[in-house]
Amino acid sequence: MFAFEFPPINEILRWQDIFPGFNKIALIAVAATVISVSLFLIAARQDYREAPTGTRNLAEISVEFIEENIIMQTMGRDGLGWTPFLLSLFLFIYLCNVPGIIPILQMPATARMAIPIFLAIVVWFVYNVTGIKHQGFFGYFKSVLFPPGVPKALYVLVTPIEFISTIVVRPFSLAVRLFANMLAGHLLLVIFALLSEALFEARDKVLIPLGVLPFGMLIFLTGFEVLVGFLQAFIFTILTAVYIAGAAHPEH
Amino acid sequence: MQHVVATVSGGNLVSLRWVSSETTDTTMPSEMMTTTANPMAASAAVAETTGPNPISPEMKELQWGAGSFIVLFILMRLVLFPRLKKGMDARYAGIRSDHEDADAAKSGARADVVAYESALNDVRAQAATRIDAARQTLDTERQSQLAQVNARIAARRAEADDRASAVKAAGRGQISDAVAAIATRAGEIASGRTPDAAVVKQAVVSAMESAGAR
Repeated sequence: MFAFEFPPINEILRWQDIFPGFNKIALIAVAATVISVSLFLIAARQDYREAPTGTRNLAEISVEFIEENIIMQTMGRDGLGWTPFLLSLFLFIYLCNVPGIIPILQMPATARMAIPIFLAIVVWFVYNVTGIKHQGFFGYFKSVLFPPGVPKALYVLVTPIEFISTIVVRPFSLAVRLFANMLAGHLLLVIFALLSEALFEARDKVLIPLGVLPFGMLIFLTGFEVLVGFLQAFIFTILTAVYIAGAAHPEH
Repeated sequence: MQHVVATVSGGNLVSLRWVSSETTDTTMPSEMMTTTANPMAASAAVAETTGPNPISPEMKELQWGAGSFIVLFILMRLVLFPRLKKGMDARYAGIRSDHEDADAAKSGARADVVAYESALNDVRAQAATRIDAARQTLDTERQSQLAQVNARIAARRAEADDRASAVKAAGRGQISDAVAAIATRAGEIASGRTPDAAVVKQAVVSAMESAGAR
């Protein structure tokens, strides 16, 4: 009458190699870089004296978005030097998220752990080095482990908590937040797509019209994933900016 | 042809089954099938079907992801962002400069308008003064001309009155003479005697004056 079998999670996430050592996730990562580079190369070739349109407009909007909504909000004017890094981070994550709703690709590269964990490690390395560079090795770890204004007796509790949260947990929370959100979105799309298919192809004709319900939900979730992809890229980038700002200027 | 289909869950082999190519379950992904029928191949099938752990990162994905991001960041840092930003800064500087020029032009135009209005007020004041003076001159001239014309009119009127009086007196004399002649003749016919002409004349004049007075 009605058979709905959800495939094992590995089957959903398993992609055959396009050629040895290169699968769909790798393709999306490379495509993200190629698209970003192409966007900025084409934008840079257009006449900068005229009001920006098309590709140049898109590139300038992305730069201004990073500068106005991320850097100026978290790091201030001093942080504008971080624009290339944060811009690369945002574009790369966003373009790795978006394929989750692009037909044929239909897989966000960030729904696999490799890219989120690599980016989180890069961010961890960047903010720790920034902190050491600005405050010195001992100064940085002192500001991290012994936050000012806390009664000395509480350092017994606060110092391990700060160490775990700042040094250990931050990269994992960054990586897991991005990975889990994108994976969850991908699984939701798979569930509703399979449910729609199962209902539309049910032997019992009464069930066929019910396929509209999961199909509607599938369309809604596809739109929702557009927002989620953007939001996760934004959250990852703004948290990176916050961590760098906190490491460079602990008094803030 | 025979196939072995391995079903794996959580890294563990759950089941192995033989199927012929005619009865291949088309719902199974192709990578979950192997096309050999020996135990070695079956173990290869197990390895093949043991998909990536959904949590742990795969090395090839890590390498390609890391490489892609590093390339993007290096190009962005050294080439892409500086070129775009340079253009943006140049355009914003141009826009700022144009704004400043426009502000300066606006201030200049405002100053010109103020100067123009001031000059216009001066000219209006001068014009009003000149118009007043001209009006006064014209008024004086008009009064003078009017006085002369009135005097001329009065003189001519007096002259005409004199002439009219003279004509009237002459006419009256002729009338009185004619009436006196008629009255004398009438008296002659009535009485047979010629009345004194001076007396008749005096009577006629007297009668005409009394009639004119009425």
